[in-house]
Amino acid sequence: MIQALVDGILLGGVYGVISTGLSLVFGVLGVVNFAHAEFLMLGMYVAWFAWRMLGLDPLLGSVLSFIIVFAVGYGVQRLLIQRVLKAPPAAQVFLTVGLMIVIENAALIAFGSDFRSVSVPYQVEGYRLGDIFISAPYLYAFIAAVVLSLALWLFLERSWSGRAIRAVAQDPMASTLVGVDTKRTYGFAFGLGVGLTAFGGAVILPYITVSPTVGGQFVVLMFTVVVLGGLGSVTGALVGGLVVGIVQSLSALFFPIQLQNLFLFVIFIAVLALRPQGLIKGA
Amino acid sequence: MRFALKPGHVVLLLFFIAAALLPLFVDPRGHLLRVAAMALLFAAMAQSWNIIGGLANQISLGHAAFFGLGAYTSTLLFLRLGISPWIGMLAGAVVAGLAAALLSVPTFRLKGHYFALATLAFAEVLRVIANSWADLSGGPVGLTVPFLGTQPLSFAFRAVSSYYWIILALLVIVCVVFYVLAHGAMGYRLRAVRENEAAAEVAGVNTFRVKLVASVISAALTAMCGTVFAQFTFFFDPDSIFSLSGISVRMAMIAIVGGLGTLGGPIIGALFLIPLEEVANAYLSSRAAGLSQLVFGLILIAAILIQPRGIMAFFPKTKGKTQPKAQPATEGARG
Repeated sequence: MIQALVDGILLGGVYGVISTGLSLVFGVLGVVNFAHAEFLMLGMYVAWFAWRMLGLDPLLGSVLSFIIVFAVGYGVQRLLIQRVLKAPPAAQVFLTVGLMIVIENAALIAFGSDFRSVSVPYQVEGYRLGDIFISAPYLYAFIAAVVLSLALWLFLERSWSGRAIRAVAQDPMASTLVGVDTKRTYGFAFGLGVGLTAFGGAVILPYITVSPTVGGQFVVLMFTVVVLGGLGSVTGALVGGLVVGIVQSLSALFFPIQLQNLFLFVIFIAVLALRPQGLIKGA
Repeated sequence: MRFALKPGHVVLLLFFIAAALLPLFVDPRGHLLRVAAMALLFAAMAQSWNIIGGLANQISLGHAAFFGLGAYTSTLLFLRLGISPWIGMLAGAVVAGLAAALLSVPTFRLKGHYFALATLAFAEVLRVIANSWADLSGGPVGLTVPFLGTQPLSFAFRAVSSYYWIILALLVIVCVVFYVLAHGAMGYRLRAVRENEAAAEVAGVNTFRVKLVASVISAALTAMCGTVFAQFTFFFDPDSIFSLSGISVRMAMIAIVGGLGTLGGPIIGALFLIPLEEVANAYLSSRAAGLSQLVFGLILIAAILIQPRGIMAFFPKTKGKTQPKAQPATEGARG
């Protein structure tokens, strides 16, 4: 029981970081990015190649994932997303759905359908704390997630760019008046959002294999986390991630593994129906 | 309701007549006819989606749920109880209608993105259930419809042309339902919901009921398409029949590329996209898996960015009514 709780928290911390990016994009741009999980996949591939070619541990390669996917995201936002920011939801939904199909299949063409995994020395190691076993790759991924979350918080609170992002999220018109380049800020926020997710993808690489369809496993999970925490809320996404991680890990104790995701979906629809503003309001 | 015959309707009638005659001129067992039948089936599916997605602007990303329910209901009834798929088709429509009604309760207060997310999750729930509850559904290996030769009462034929005509008939039915809904009092209510839900409510429209009725009809018709699909292809599995990109997105995409909320849109969209995909598959998939899907995604992006009102927007003559000053992609319903 406590073991499952610990596993859930370690898993949930990473879910939080992965989903924070999605929430950030919605909070700032007002666009639900259905392609978001594909950027996770891209981040995983960057980290995989960094490991294969440069011998870089995925925990370090994650920085590379963040930088490269940030650049890709910035470009995607300026070229595509920017054009539908004022369009009705239908256009936004289908633009990002189209993007999802394109990225997934481009990856399939470029990388093939093989499952790829890394091997790192700590892969099967762990720590014992009384009766509880803590798996090393899960622990390191969790620590990386916490570090990044703190960095993100500092960035949004303290830096000029972070303040610009929050200002644009609140009122684009007023931000323009005080000298913020809203278009660049939108691109920056989108890049930051997908970059965070790519970082999360890289740190879980030691225990999850990557393939072009890996994004599909995370789509509903990410949306569940984000909706739980309240769409657009960065803190909420972190809390939501922990909740989902714990629920997933606890439900595995009582139900067969195939039904694990079913639980997520049911929670997801229930939360949408009962509290679409998220569990913690105003976070 | 006015039954003034407009140029657009004449074109549509001529199209149906030409489509009905097609099997007489091509190889009745040939590949061409199969592709044509598939295009018409996807037109019918997209038109079903168009009822809720186009008329009421409720962007569903989960219509594969109803499609799969139709296929599973009829096939399971036939395999387990020997009930004719014709009856199974109606049973599937009822099951899907009930599912849509059930789903409406928690989702209809949701707007735009949230509704799309909830419907997407619903289809995923069914996919997971179909995959894991093998005793009922046959599990991940899917279901095979037995080949019976030609037995019209059991919805089984040797010739592709028989399926083709059935699919065409289904398309005509769906189009008629769409037309009646769009031009009756229901159509005005649905458009009121689409343009401004709060205002519609104030004006005395029971928005929940209107959306519920449209949603149930849309789901039931989609389920009928599912049954026909199962009989036509003889095989399906949970991952393909409840597929997000293969079914749910494609239905919506055909309607959008053709022209959202228009009568002719889904037909034009399907006639454009399905053969294109067939060609892309034939020429590109040998080079790299995923290339044809990639092209599909690019077309979707291009369609949204270049002409959000779809191909129908290029035919100004067929518009019956004066164009409302709506934003792109939420255009008025026109016959």
